[in-house]
Amino acid sequence: MAVKAPKLAKDFWGHFNRGVAWLIIGLQIIILAALGIVLYVVGFFENNPLAVVATLLAQTILGVLASALLFRFVARPLKDMLAAIIHVSGEPTTSTPPNPNDTRFEKSGFKDVLQTIYQLASNEPAPADAPATLSEGSEPAVTPQATHSIIERALDNTTCGFVVMNHERVITFSNKAAPINIDQNGTSHLSLLFNGEDTLENWLTHCEETAVRAEHTWTRIPNKLPEEEGRRFFDVIASYDKGAESEVVLTMIDRTEQYAVGEQELDFIAFAAHELRGPITVIRGYLDVLQDELSDVLRDDQHELFRRLTVSANRLSGYINNILNTSRYDRRHLKMHLTETSLSDIYDTIKDDMDLRASAQGRLLSVTIPSDLPHIAADPASLGEVMGNLIDNAIKYSNEGGAITVTASMKGELVEFSVEDHGIGMPGNVVSNLFQKFYRSHRSRETVAGTGIGLYISKAIVESHGGTISVRSEEGRGSTFIVSLPTYQAVAEKLKAGDNSNEALIEQGSGWIKNHSMYRG
Amino acid sequence: MAIQTILVIEDDRFIGEMYVRSLKKAGYDVDWMIDGNDGLIAARNKAYDLLLLDVMLPERRGSDILEALRGGSEDLIPHSKVLVLTNFEQDDESRLAMEKRADGYLIKAEITPSKLLAVIKQLDSQQ
Repeated sequence: MAVKAPKLAKDFWGHFNRGVAWLIIGLQIIILAALGIVLYVVGFFENNPLAVVATLLAQTILGVLASALLFRFVARPLKDMLAAIIHVSGEPTTSTPPNPNDTRFEKSGFKDVLQTIYQLASNEPAPADAPATLSEGSEPAVTPQATHSIIERALDNTTCGFVVMNHERVITFSNKAAPINIDQNGTSHLSLLFNGEDTLENWLTHCEETAVRAEHTWTRIPNKLPEEEGRRFFDVIASYDKGAESEVVLTMIDRTEQYAVGEQELDFIAFAAHELRGPITVIRGYLDVLQDELSDVLRDDQHELFRRLTVSANRLSGYINNILNTSRYDRRHLKMHLTETSLSDIYDTIKDDMDLRASAQGRLLSVTIPSDLPHIAADPASLGEVMGNLIDNAIKYSNEGGAITVTASMKGELVEFSVEDHGIGMPGNVVSNLFQKFYRSHRSRETVAGTGIGLYISKAIVESHGGTISVRSEEGRGSTFIVSLPTYQAVAEKLKAGDNSNEALIEQGSGWIKNHSMYRG
Repeated sequence: MAIQTILVIEDDRFIGEMYVRSLKKAGYDVDWMIDGNDGLIAARNKAYDLLLLDVMLPERRGSDILEALRGGSEDLIPHSKVLVLTNFEQDDESRLAMEKRADGYLIKAEITPSKLLAVIKQLDSQQ
C-alpha cells in the first residue's frame, strides 16, 4: 500500500501548503499562456512587444501574490482547527494551541468550534495509537462504540448536567449541559462556586479518607459570581464510589429559574422590610410618646382606646415579622443568631406587649417561667416571636374571659415551654395539618381572621434551634402548644463535638454561637 | 460616667423627632444630624456619650460611619457608646460587622421611645 498520506496530523499542513503553492503557480502559468496566445493571434505584439510582455509578467506576479494572500485568509480557520486537533491528538509540537477565549475567535464565532474540538477530545477515549492521558491504567471500554454514543447523545440532549471524574479528580466525561470550562490545554474544569467550606473538593477529600461509598447534595450552587453574565444555579448531587473507574459522578440540575427569582425577591424583601417597618416605627413610637404625655389629660375610656391602638400596632408589627421570616425561610435565608439566654429573659422582652394584648381582649394571661431554668441557645428576637405567636393564637381561639396559662419547666434533657388555652380546641384531623403553610381549618376560616403562617414559621424557628413544637388539643376544651428546646450546654457540646464545618466558633457567656445552619436539614 | 450627651443620626424626620423629643424629655442633651456626612463630622468633633446610628442614610451609610469611627487600628470614639437602630434588613455579613463594632443593634420597629430609654439605662448600668 502506497503511504502517500501524511503520517501525523501536523505533517498535513506543510504538504497541503506545497500543493496549494503549486496549484497557484500552475494556474497563473496557464492563464499567462492562454493570454499570450490570444494576444499573439490578435496581433498585439506587433506594436509594442516589450510593453505587452511586461504587462503580462506583472499580471502573473500580482496574480500569484493575490492568490497566496487569499489562501492565507481562507485557510486560517483550517489552520487553527488543525492546530487544535494536533494539540488534542497529543502529537509532539512546538506551537501553542489556539485559545478559545482569544478575542479574535470570540469575534468570529470560531470559539465554539474550538471548544467543541476540545470537548470532543476530552469526552472520547483517546485513540489506541496515541498515548492515552485520560483512561490511563484502565482497560479500554468493552461496551461497543455504538451503545456508547447513543448514551452520550442522550445525555447531551438532557438539560441535566453530568460529569464523571476518575480517582485523580480529572474530568473524564461531561455532557453538554454541565457547567464546564475548557482551558487551552483541553482540560475540563467544573465552574461551580461552592459556599464556604462545603465544597466538592473538601467533600471528596473527606470521602477519600473515610468512605467507600457516599452521596452528597448541594443546593443553589451558582456557576458565576453575582452580576456576571450567564449566571446559573444548580442543585448538585455527587456520588462517590471508591476505586471505581468513574469514582465520582456529579449530576447537576439547573434550577436557575426558581432560584434567580428567589434572589430578586430577597432583595425585594430587604427593601419591603424597610418600607413596612418605617410607618410601624412611627405609629408605635408616637403612640408611646402621646400616651405618656397625655396620661394626665385622658379619661379612662380614652386610655382604653389608646391601649387598643397600641395592641393593634403591635400585632401588625408581629405580623410583618412573620411575613418577613416566612419569606426568608422559604428561600433558606432565615438564619438564627444563637446566643446564651434564658426563657424568662426572652419572655421579659415581650411581656408588656403580651399583657396589653391579653387585657385589651379580655383574656386572663398567667405566666410562670422560673428564672432558674437552665440557659438555652436561642435567637432571642425569633424565639420571642414564637412565644408571641402562640400566645396570640391562644387569645384568638379562646373566649372572652378565658384563662391562658404559660409555663416552663425541665423535661428530661429539654427545656419545655407551653401555652395552654381553654378555648375552642381542634379535632384530630386539624391538628395533623396545623403546621403547614397557609393551613387554616375549615371552621376557623369562617370565624377567625388569619393567614396561617404563624404556626408554620414558629415551627421553622423552633426547629432551627434544634427543638420541636407539638400540640395537644381537644375539641371544645382547648389546646396546649409545647415547645421543647435543648439546653445551651447541650448545643455548645454538640457544636464542639461536631466536625470542623462548625469550626468550634463558640464563646461562652455573652458570645455568639456563630453557627446558623446546624439544625437546617 | 453616666450617659448625658447623645447624637442621633437619622434621616427620617418623623422617627428622628420622635427619639429626640422623648430623649430630651428624659433629660438628655441631644444633637440630631440628618445625613451621614454631617453625622460623621459631628461624632468626631464632640465626644458624645452615646451615638444612635441609622443604617440607610443619605451621603454616607451608617455602616460606613461606624467603619470610619471604629474600623481602623485606633478607636476614634473611645468614650462613646454606639447603638445601631435600623429597619433595613442587612445581609448577615454587614450585620455581624456592625454588631461587632457597636454596643447594640436594634430594629427600630421594635423599639418604642420608652424601650429605647430602657436600653440606654441598661447601657449606663453596664459601665
